[in-house]
Amino acid sequence: MFTKVLIANRGEIAVRIIRACRELGIETVAVFSEADRKALHVRYADEAYYLGPAPSRDSYLREDKIISIARKSGADAIHPGYGFLAEREDFASACANAGIIFIGPKPSSIAAMGDKAVARSTVLKAGVPVVPGTEGIGNLSDEDLLTVAPKIGFPLLIKATAGGGGKGMREVKSIEEMPGLILNARREAESSFGDGNVYLEKLVEGAHHIEIQILADQFGNVLHLNERDCSIQRRHQKLIEEAPSSFLDDELRQKMGEVAVKAAQAVDYENAGTIEFLVDKDRNFYFLEMNTRLQVEHPVTEMVTGIDIVKEQIRIARGRQLTFAQDDIRINGASIECRINAEDPYNDFIPSTGKIIQNIIPSGPGVRVDTGVYSGFDISPYYDPLISKLIVWGESRGQAILRMRRALEEYRIIGVRTNIPFHMIMMDSARILAGQYDTRFVEERFSMQEKNEDREHYEEIAAVVATLVAHQTAERSAQFVSRNERDTSNWKWVGRWERMHR
Amino acid sequence: MGDNSKEDQLRKYRTSSRQGGGTERIQAQHSRGKLTARERLDLLLDKGSFREVDPFVVHRTNDFGLDDQKIHSDSVVTGWGTIESRLVYVFSQDFTVFGGSLGEVHAGKIVKIMEMAMKNGAPLIGLNDSGGARIQEGVVSLGGYADIFLLNTLASGVIPQISAIMGPCAGGAVYSPALTDFIFMVRNSSYMFVTGPDVVKTVTHEEVSFEDLGGASIHSEKSGVCHVAADSEADTLYLIRKMLSYLPQNNMEDAPFIEPIDDTLRMDEGLDKIIPDDSGKPYDIKEVIGMVMDQGSFYEIHEGYAQNIVVGFARLGGHSVGIIANQPAVLAGVLDIDASEKAARFVRFCDSFNIPIITFEDVPGFLPGTFQEHHGIIRSGAKLLYAYCEATVPKLTVITRKAYGGAYCVMSSKHIRGDVNLAWPSAEIAVMGPEGAVSIIFRKELAESADPVARKAELVQEYRDKFANPFVAAERGYIDDVILPRETRPRLINALEMLQNKRDANPAKKHGNIPL
Repeated sequence: MFTKVLIANRGEIAVRIIRACRELGIETVAVFSEADRKALHVRYADEAYYLGPAPSRDSYLREDKIISIARKSGADAIHPGYGFLAEREDFASACANAGIIFIGPKPSSIAAMGDKAVARSTVLKAGVPVVPGTEGIGNLSDEDLLTVAPKIGFPLLIKATAGGGGKGMREVKSIEEMPGLILNARREAESSFGDGNVYLEKLVEGAHHIEIQILADQFGNVLHLNERDCSIQRRHQKLIEEAPSSFLDDELRQKMGEVAVKAAQAVDYENAGTIEFLVDKDRNFYFLEMNTRLQVEHPVTEMVTGIDIVKEQIRIARGRQLTFAQDDIRINGASIECRINAEDPYNDFIPSTGKIIQNIIPSGPGVRVDTGVYSGFDISPYYDPLISKLIVWGESRGQAILRMRRALEEYRIIGVRTNIPFHMIMMDSARILAGQYDTRFVEERFSMQEKNEDREHYEEIAAVVATLVAHQTAERSAQFVSRNERDTSNWKWVGRWERMHR
Repeated sequence: MGDNSKEDQLRKYRTSSRQGGGTERIQAQHSRGKLTARERLDLLLDKGSFREVDPFVVHRTNDFGLDDQKIHSDSVVTGWGTIESRLVYVFSQDFTVFGGSLGEVHAGKIVKIMEMAMKNGAPLIGLNDSGGARIQEGVVSLGGYADIFLLNTLASGVIPQISAIMGPCAGGAVYSPALTDFIFMVRNSSYMFVTGPDVVKTVTHEEVSFEDLGGASIHSEKSGVCHVAADSEADTLYLIRKMLSYLPQNNMEDAPFIEPIDDTLRMDEGLDKIIPDDSGKPYDIKEVIGMVMDQGSFYEIHEGYAQNIVVGFARLGGHSVGIIANQPAVLAGVLDIDASEKAARFVRFCDSFNIPIITFEDVPGFLPGTFQEHHGIIRSGAKLLYAYCEATVPKLTVITRKAYGGAYCVMSSKHIRGDVNLAWPSAEIAVMGPEGAVSIIFRKELAESADPVARKAELVQEYRDKFANPFVAAERGYIDDVILPRETRPRLINALEMLQNKRDANPAKKHGNIPL
C-alpha cells in the first residue's frame, strides 16, 4: 500500500488531489514547470520538483522525467489528475513497469476507451446505444469519409479519434464544405494529440450533454453516482455543470446509470470514470465517449452524493473495496459548478494573462471554491485558462441558482479578465432557470451585449471614484510638509558637523 | 458689522493682489504662449501647497507718475510650498506688473524669502521673467540687485538654489541666476545676456537676434550657462521638480533615499559586450550608465554642452548619486576646456551637498592644440583636478577602457582620495596610448630600423601586451579590484553602502583657491 503520491498535474486539480491525500495521511509530491515555480500546488505539497520549461511538452507531458522524479522522491503512486497524461495508456504502462501505482484505470481500459472508434464498437457489443456514425470501422481515408457521410445524414460532426475537449472537432452542414473541414480537423488533431485520424458522427440536435460518474473497485464492484448535466458549453468547452439534471426523470436516470455501468464493465474498468451521453429532445440517449479519469466537474457529484471521489480513487488504487453499494447512493439537493476562466467574455472569450492583484474568494454556506491561484500569482499563457471552479449546493435547483448568484457577486478577481460576468448573465437567464437549454444554448441564444452597457456605466463610476481619491490625496499632501529622515550614525553626523566648523 | 467690513476689505485686497497686472496684461502674457507668475507656481508646487508671503506689499516710488500705480504684491510673488511633500521656498517674477521690473520692494521680498530658506534649510527656486531694473527707482533698484547677489553667494553650498529663466533676463539681472547652482531655460521664449542686441550692434557692429545672442539653445549648447533646456514652461517646471528628488534639503542632510524598484543584484550581460574589440572604436557611455544605474533614473545635466563628458544625477540602489563619465562617442571622450569646467562644477555641487560621485573613465588624455593651450586648458584642467581632490563625499571610479596620462590622475584616481576604484578587464591604464609611447621610447631604434613601419607595429604590440591592461595598476594597488563589466552594478551598490558613513576632512582654511 502506497504512502506517497506524486501528482502529475498543476493548478486547481493538483491542489484538490493534495488535499485528499493530506486527509488520508499520505505524503505528496508536486511537479512544476518554469512558469509554475510559485504556483499554489507547489506550495501545498510536501515536496516539489522542477520538471522543465513552461510549454507542457517540455514539462507536464514529460513521462520519463515524472517517473524518474517519482523514483527519486520515493513516491510509490502517481495521480495524473485530468488532461496532460491522464488518458495516456503508455504512461499508465510505464508506471506499472516502474513499479509505481497509477491511480486510475488499467492501461488496457484506457486503450479501449481512448480510441473512440474502438470504444464505440466495444460498448455497442455490450448493448449500449451509440450515435450513428463511422464507429468501430477504424481509420477511414478522406474518400471513404465522403462516401459514408450522406448515409449518416447532415448535419454531422468530424471528431478526432484520439481527441477530447473539442479539439479537432468540426461541424459539417453539407457535403461541399466537407473536404476542407476534414483537412482542418486532421491538422488540429495531429498537432494536439499527435494523431490525425478522425471519424464521423451524426449531430444530435437539441441535445443535452449528460454524463454518468462511475466508481469501480478491484473486486468487480461497479456502481454509478448518477448524472451531471454539462450542456452549457461554448465551442464544446463545458462552462457550467450541474447535478442532478433537471432534464432527467428517475426512470431515465436509472436506465442510463445501468447502461453506464454496463459500458464500464465492457472494458473491465476500475477506479473513477465517466460515461458521456447525448440525450436528444425525445429523451433518446446515445453513448458519446468514456473519460477514463477524474473529471473537472466531479465536485457537483460530490456535493449531492456526499462521496469524496478523489479519496475513493486513492482507496480503490490502494486495493480497498467500495464501502457502499448502489442502493446507498442518494441525491441530496442540487449542485452547480461555474468554471471561472481567465478570459474576456466581452471580447470573444480571448484568454487573458497577467498578475492577479486581488483574489477575494466567496464563502459562506454551501459554497466551495477549488482554485489553483492566489493574489500575486501570474497567469501564464501556457496552460488552459481555468483559474478556479466555483461550486454551490442548495436544497433545490432554485436555491442553488440563488446561492450561485450571491457567490458570483462576492467573487473578486482583479488583474486579469474573467468570465464571471458571463456566469452572472447565465444565472439570470430565464431559460437556464427553466432548464430549457441544450448544448447550443451559449452559441445560439446568448450575448454579452446588454451587460456591456452596464459595464460602461461602471467605468464612469470608477473614473469618478478615481478622481475623488486623487483629489483627496492632493489636498492632504498640500497641508503636509514631510520631515527629513535622518540616519542614526553619530559617526557620520559628527563628521559632517566638524566639516562645517573648520 | 465692523468685523464684516474688515473681512470684506481683506477679501477685496486678496482678490486684487491675486490678479497681478490685471486681466488685459494676463491675456497678453497668455497670447505670447506664457503663463503668469502664479500659474507657474501652481505647476511647480504640489497642488494647493503654496503659501504666499507679502501679498500686500506695494512700492514706495512717487516719481514719474508711479504714485498712482500701486499694485498689491508688486512685481514678484514669493512664498513657500512643497514638492513631493518636501519644503521649498520660491519666488516668481510677475511680468504682468511693471514688466516684472525689479525695484526696492521686489528685491526686498526676494531677500526675505531667501533668508527664510537659509534659516530653515530648504531649497530656493527662482522663476525669472523680468524686464530688468525699475529705472524709475534709480540706484535703489541696483542696491536691490546687489542685496540678492550677496545672499545668493552666502546661500551657495548651504541650500540648493535653482533658477528658471521663463522670459527675459538681461543686464545685471543675469548674475543672480548665474550664482545659483542650476539654470533651467525654456526654448524659444527665454533669453539671457549681459548686453542686448542693440548695444551689441552699437559697440561691435554685430547683427544678432535675441535667440542667437542668448536663447536657450545658445546657452545650453555653446556657452554652457544653461544646465537644462526644455521645450515648454510646463516641461521646465516638471524637470525642476524631478531634479529636486535627487537633492538634499541642505548641506547637512542626505538626498532622499527611494526604495529601489530595480533589482540591486541585477547583472546586465549587455555590459560584457559593449566595449568594441578595437580600442579605437567608440561606444556610448550613456548605455553603460543606463545598464548600471536604477532603471530610468539617469537625469542628465548639460546634455548639449561639452558632450565629450557626461554628467548628471542618477539613483543606484535607491541612493542619489552624481555621475561623471567620459563619452568615447564624442571626440573619443577627450578632456578639453569646456568638458573640464562642466565636470568640475558638477563635482563641487555634489561635494557641497553630500551626493556621492561615481566616475566612469575612458579618457585618452587632454585635447592638444593651440586653441586649447591659448585659452587655458592648463587652468581648466586644474579646476577639475582641484574639484576631485577637494571632494570628501564617497568617490567611486570605474575604468572601462582608457585611462591615459594626466587625465588618469584627474579622473578620481586612487591617489586623489578615490574610495573604491574598479577596472574592467578592458582597461588600459598607462602614461599614453601604445602608438605614442613607442614613438618616444624607441625613437632612436625606429629611426635606425630598416623597416620602421613593421618594427613599430611589432613594438606597439609588445607595449600593448605589457601595459594596455588593468593588471599593472592592480599589482600596485592603484585600483582596488578588476571586475567583470556585468558585476559593476552590484559592486557599486555594495561600495556605496559600505561608504554610507564616510568621514573625511580637509585642513582648516577660509576657503581654498581654486584656479578660476
